[in-house]
Amino acid sequence: MLRELFEWVEAFPSSLSLRESLNGYVYCLTAHVASMGLVAGLIGFWDMRLAGLALRGVRVTKVQSGLFPLMFVGLGINAITGILMVYAQPMRYYPNFWFWMKIGMLVVVAVNAAYFHMNIEKSVDKWDSDPIAPLQARVAGYVSLAFWFGIIATGRMIAYSGLVPQWWLDLGLGS
Amino acid sequence: MLQPFFEWMQELRFSAFFLESVWPTPIVQVIHLSTVALFIGSVLVVDLRLLGRGLIDQSISELTKKVQPFLLWSFVVLVLSGIPQMSSTALKQYYSPFFWWKMGMVFFGLIVTFGVRRYIASKEEGYFGLVWPKVIGLTSIALWTSVTIGARLIGLLS
Repeated sequence: MLRELFEWVEAFPSSLSLRESLNGYVYCLTAHVASMGLVAGLIGFWDMRLAGLALRGVRVTKVQSGLFPLMFVGLGINAITGILMVYAQPMRYYPNFWFWMKIGMLVVVAVNAAYFHMNIEKSVDKWDSDPIAPLQARVAGYVSLAFWFGIIATGRMIAYSGLVPQWWLDLGLGS
Repeated sequence: MLQPFFEWMQELRFSAFFLESVWPTPIVQVIHLSTVALFIGSVLVVDLRLLGRGLIDQSISELTKKVQPFLLWSFVVLVLSGIPQMSSTALKQYYSPFFWWKMGMVFFGLIVTFGVRRYIASKEEGYFGLVWPKVIGLTSIALWTSVTIGARLIGLLS
């Protein structure tokens, strides 16, 4: 079913024109990488504050309110350019092991962020100024750091579509 | 003038190792790219503060001190992980206008980040007025954005 969806998108005239444009994909990828630095760099400092690795003397809520507005701008650019890249070449991404690993990790960081927001963050008033946040918050910080690293790593590895486990090739998704 | 140096780099056994092995190049690229994120984050935290945004309850000098180790060490890792990537494709880099663009921007970026910005941070808040810190913050963001764009275009358009 997923394959049909990707094939359907690939047949769109707008997907074809982006795929065949001389520099459209190049501009998207360049903006994607630049905005990745913005997003992962700022989220990295937020996560390191939660994990107790950086900015310990700064209140947690101040780090959030100070860094998140620009981070969300970067996230918007990153998401749009990422979607456009997949939109332009859906059948290049569909059989790619690293692409699906990246999507899986994006889901994990989204769930982790949602869990933090709906549960751990509710008590932030009690530990806002603590240099070391409670264990749950630290774990959320470490999980986010690890999976953002994973997102960057798998994103870079998408170019190496041949370097994948044999069991993935055995699935025959590319054929 | 520099061409013989790049030819020498390209012919090193070290370069051949990276060209002929399967995993070392992607591993080094992953390290380089994830360190780029840490470096950009370290640059931005202070640049935002210079622009009067971000962590505004911290003084510029305090924030610069807190972020300095991340900035410095991430730059060291960027250089170390950049060397094998550059040497294994030395001639491609040499003939790429984007490589020289990137290196030029890195040069000016280092002057602004480790020189001008630190000088601003060493003085009392308000010493340079309201405009100059903003100009430096914007210049720093523009320079490091140019570095990232140039670096990506080496691989895509060279």
